[in-house]
Amino acid sequence: MKIIDEKEPALLKRAVRGDEQAFLALYQKHQAPLYRYALRMTGSPWAAEEVVQEVFLLLIREPHKFQPDRGELGAFLFGVTRNRVMKHLERLPREDSLDEINANGTAWREPEDPLTPMMIAEKTERIEQVREAVLDLPAEFREAVVLCELEELSYEEAARACGCPVGTIRSRLHRGRALLLAKLELLRDAPRRASAGAR
Amino acid sequence: MMKCEEFEFLGLDMDRADARPEEAAAAAEHAAGCARCSALLESWRELKQDLRVLHESTRLESAPARVEMRLKQELRTRREARVPHRTARVAAWSFAAAAALAAAAGWAHWRGVSAPTATVSPQVAAVAQSNPDPAAESILLAADYDTGDFTQLPGSMPTASSDQAILQARVQRGALMQFGLPVAPEQATDWVDVDFLVGEDGQPLAVRLHQESQTEAVTQ
Repeated sequence: MKIIDEKEPALLKRAVRGDEQAFLALYQKHQAPLYRYALRMTGSPWAAEEVVQEVFLLLIREPHKFQPDRGELGAFLFGVTRNRVMKHLERLPREDSLDEINANGTAWREPEDPLTPMMIAEKTERIEQVREAVLDLPAEFREAVVLCELEELSYEEAARACGCPVGTIRSRLHRGRALLLAKLELLRDAPRRASAGAR
Repeated sequence: MMKCEEFEFLGLDMDRADARPEEAAAAAEHAAGCARCSALLESWRELKQDLRVLHESTRLESAPARVEMRLKQELRTRREARVPHRTARVAAWSFAAAAALAAAAGWAHWRGVSAPTATVSPQVAAVAQSNPDPAAESILLAADYDTGDFTQLPGSMPTASSDQAILQARVQRGALMQFGLPVAPEQATDWVDVDFLVGEDGQPLAVRLHQESQTEAVTQ
């Protein structure tokens, strides 16, 4: 359908005038990455859902806030999402964990893996620990980890998304990694491995 | 040669696609010769593997369908709210235009009907009533001394008297023949607005056609 090829500002204009198809084209393009970011940052499907809804409601109600000459629509939407997520994190301590039934009504699931039930259980537990550890990081370090390690953005992309220099992102990521490793007690294992390796 | 502190900050980036080649090479060299940093790198790689699994497990996550439904509902509500708004705006403009039209028509009528009235002298009234053309409508007086562009009627003498008046009337053009003015027979039945300059004795001294009537006469 031609609508996909249309420029986003033009689509947005049509959407604001009430063109449902134009709006859906924009929504479907952007909602998933925004939702995943919000989910990984908040750890709550409900909060992520609310954030995404608020972001697109803002786009419907106050479309003039997006100025095409200042950047892409995706960057604008990410910026709004980020602000909402940060506000959410400031307002509420983490309430829900991702092991709850998620917003689509399905349970958290691991990708299919040809492992024994014991290995699957161990792996699931480890992933759960990692997820908890990520969610326990301070927001700015968590954001760096989410963007650079989970979303696999480059440092430059992450810096642009957060509106800060690359050096700041690298520094936050360094701290985030260190905290994660410490949290998972992998650092405690490291000297032991080192001494075992030395022998 | 990279030091351990540098490795902790830069070395864990060596597997990243956007790592600087020279940094990655220095980190690999350091890890090869430092058991502690090698163990740290190994721990990080394990954690990175777990992060990848976490990434994969949420890769297809997206906002639930109910968000889309709510947003569509909001869009429809706003669209519906805009329609009456637009109708009201059109109605308001129509009303304003109608009011302006009515005001203009009223003003034009007022100008035509109730222009500053002058005192009607008995003579003028008599002239008006004694107009020989039954079709003539001797109605109104305009301002005194408005003698511009008047045509002297044959047989009348110009006077400088201040006791003159202007009588405004709508008559058939043929009626002007009775004052000695030439009228084309084919235009005799046309209605024209004329001003009569009436002297103190009540007799018409001069006449002028209104601009519209003159224009009509020209075009005809």
